[in-house]
Amino acid sequence: MKINSYLMKAQDIALHFDGINALQDINTKVGHSEILAIIGPNGAGKTCLLNCLSGFYHPQKGQVFFQNQDITQFKPHQRAKLGIARTFQGVQLFRGLSVIDNLLAGRHIHMKTNAIQGFFYRPWTHREEMINRRKVEEIIDFLEIKHIRHKLVGSLSYGLRKRIDLGRALAMEPKVLLMDEPMAGMNLEEKEDMARFVIDIREANDIPIVIVEHDMHVVMDIADRIYVLNWGHLIAEGTPEEIKKNPEVIKAYLGEVRAI
Amino acid sequence: MTNINDAQKNWGSLPEILEQGVETLPQLLVYQTRRFSDQVFHRKKDFGIWQRYTYKNVLNQVKTFAMGLVSLGIERGQTVGIVGENEPELFWSEYAAQSIGATPVCLYPDMTPAQMEHILSHSDAVIVVCEDQEQVDKVLELEEKLPAILKIVYWDDRGMWKYDHPKLMTFKKVQELGMDYIRIHPNEFEEGVAAGKSTDIAILSYTSGTTGLPKGCIMTYANLFDTVFRLAGAVQMKPFLQYLSYISPGWSAEQMFGISMGLLIPFVVNFPEEPETVLENIREIGAEALVFTPPQWENFASLVESKMIEAGPIRNWFFKKGLAVGAKVNLAKLEGRKVSFWWRFLYPLADKGVLYPLRGNLGLQAVYFAFSGGSSMAPDVFRFFHSMGVPLRNMFGTTEMSFFTMHQGETYDLETVGKWLVVHPHFGPPLEYKLTDEAEILVKGGSGFAGYYKNQQATEEKMDGGWYRTGDAVHITEKNEVVYLDRVDHMRKLSTGHFYPPQYIESRLRFSPFIKNAMTVGDQDKPFVAAMLNIDAGTLGTWAEQRRIGYATFTDLSQNKTIRDLIKLEIEKVNAFLPEGSKVKRFINFPKELDPDEDELTRSRKIRRDFLEKKYARFISAIYSGETEFKAEVPVKYQDGRTAVVNAIVYVNDLNEEENRSQ
Repeated sequence: MKINSYLMKAQDIALHFDGINALQDINTKVGHSEILAIIGPNGAGKTCLLNCLSGFYHPQKGQVFFQNQDITQFKPHQRAKLGIARTFQGVQLFRGLSVIDNLLAGRHIHMKTNAIQGFFYRPWTHREEMINRRKVEEIIDFLEIKHIRHKLVGSLSYGLRKRIDLGRALAMEPKVLLMDEPMAGMNLEEKEDMARFVIDIREANDIPIVIVEHDMHVVMDIADRIYVLNWGHLIAEGTPEEIKKNPEVIKAYLGEVRAI
Repeated sequence: MTNINDAQKNWGSLPEILEQGVETLPQLLVYQTRRFSDQVFHRKKDFGIWQRYTYKNVLNQVKTFAMGLVSLGIERGQTVGIVGENEPELFWSEYAAQSIGATPVCLYPDMTPAQMEHILSHSDAVIVVCEDQEQVDKVLELEEKLPAILKIVYWDDRGMWKYDHPKLMTFKKVQELGMDYIRIHPNEFEEGVAAGKSTDIAILSYTSGTTGLPKGCIMTYANLFDTVFRLAGAVQMKPFLQYLSYISPGWSAEQMFGISMGLLIPFVVNFPEEPETVLENIREIGAEALVFTPPQWENFASLVESKMIEAGPIRNWFFKKGLAVGAKVNLAKLEGRKVSFWWRFLYPLADKGVLYPLRGNLGLQAVYFAFSGGSSMAPDVFRFFHSMGVPLRNMFGTTEMSFFTMHQGETYDLETVGKWLVVHPHFGPPLEYKLTDEAEILVKGGSGFAGYYKNQQATEEKMDGGWYRTGDAVHITEKNEVVYLDRVDHMRKLSTGHFYPPQYIESRLRFSPFIKNAMTVGDQDKPFVAAMLNIDAGTLGTWAEQRRIGYATFTDLSQNKTIRDLIKLEIEKVNAFLPEGSKVKRFINFPKELDPDEDELTRSRKIRRDFLEKKYARFISAIYSGETEFKAEVPVKYQDGRTAVVNAIVYVNDLNEEENRSQ
């Protein structure tokens, strides 16, 4: 499956750490409204690729484009302003803040008033807070976390914290959502919920979602298109059906029988 | 029966509504909107804020939806299925269907498609109004089996963005059709409302029959109004009290409370944000009226207990002591007893320090109309809430005939389900009852039973020459209050011809902290009821130690004279609420613990009656042959597989009052 138009593109990416080649000759495209999965065995370079897209790593070679703009040298917060949001493999939230405050933190890039204006709290500051709170409440409604909106994040279960992490990314009103192992460490029910949210986000917001994920059942169920990485190389691309049958992928996952 | 004067006082100006010729709920909605147009009627928490809907708003929502239904081709007498959690749209859909003379039928949101299929097809539903994707999916699954359904309407579009089905339509879209329709036919809504009569079907309420498929009980407007007046006559209610709608409208009780009382008294009907946020929402609105099912109250109570254990030993100590003082004073007040000065002195301290903050935290400080409806609930749960200062009341009734009795006034007996309710003369004669030999209660009076929908046979089976057969076995106390025993099917017959409720007696015996398990004996060959008890060695062991009573084994403890006398007192407490023939006359304490490993109990610790009757046949024969003691040999099996025999002298104890006096 080839896509014609794209929102985001990585071109000839190479990334290495002291002689270890993490990524080589990677070319990927992210369409306008698709669920794109990046899979591969441990150490294949999946998270490295996601980090190159979100700006946490800067590749030594190659370029990253977003809406036809070269953003290779952009820092993560600059990319966030452009509308690239991500969630983390380990949850990175303010444990001592409530769910609402964590989500409001995600609204930061949309806030114009500063701390001093916040101190004097003029009507326009109040208006802005109303707008942001409304957005946050919409996300709370969307992610079905109404019952915990005033709870401290540190007191929540892992599965719920993952959901708050996703909520914070959504609070940015992103144009593309990058998710690093959203299902890791979850039980079956939590995985099903998360999968449903991913599909709903795509349907409701009409944005592409890039998922790095280990759980093959989930990936095969929800992804429209899949990239397979192995040892820093892109070894396959296609729909879940094509990937399932691809001999390279089977080899990478199951190993191959060699004559000794 | 309660004094009609009391009821009239409580009704206040309510009967004026009847004098105005208001016969149906839609007429009532129009009438109340004329009186209270800008007052808040419904409130629902959405996006973190309580959104308000005034009478004017609600009437407008109902009117546009009703006319939308008409423009979709729904006619008088057709059925509208409604399924979802308690939300304003659900109430509006119901009032809208009633406005055009259609019959609403509410389904439980957790029903399976198969259960929904029976109700939707039996009630001849032509349209289904659903809350969200979950319900829509279930109805779509049934679509081929239910060709009569023309449209599937939903009000929550979450997850519905990519659905494309010719029968699907949003709630808003129906209302838009309604607005267009109103422009062409401006008076049709008012004419439709005015055409309603009190004998029209207001709602079909499907009762979960214990046997066979659910039956659609017809509830007319007269039935609903009658119910409201019965309840309003028992407890004085301030208009605009804050009510939280939580029990499902699929159950007839919410039709009586949220839908009918909410409009008649009227209430401010609040809808919880989510089922998970109910406790938080109760606190936010400062609820004054709550109706929960027994499991919901039980959960509430156990939640408080478990939170207090989490709070640590010091706070838990204060909680326990405060609640103990509350129990002493509030329960005495409830039973109409005097309390000593010492407790009256302590009460304000306990209330300020523990009970008031506790009620505040739970959001129960304003509650004065709290009900448990449905099946029976342990009096201990009632006592827990009364100790806290929350006047939780019980009631007894059926979907078909509405409520019969209720805890009324300031003093009432928690062991009963209360006094008889007063029927407003507008709706029919006062309630009357009679008991059959099986202790089944038959009732007549009020607006009566309108029958089951399309099931003449079942309707006739329920009626016995004008009397309605409840299928419930009860006992009537000297004060004319009702003690609910059990379903008639569960009653057992003695050789004297008397029926007694074994499960009721056993469960009441188990409430005693000293009795772990109980089995009643007595059947067609036996003249009286006896009990075989498994004492609670934990609590009784401590009790015995505190009183320096020596014992070596369970057998020793169970046959100890002081212990047997203590158990006797516990049984007498239970006997006090039983009719003469059902009272426990003799009892034996098992000389060993009942054990699931020996097949005496099921794994869920219920007694295995048949097995026990065989294994302990010697015990039973001792009870009925009049022996007072005998040598018993009971085989036991240890966990490692060895077997042994417990040899013991076992005493048969009499609960004869004369004998008690001679001791």
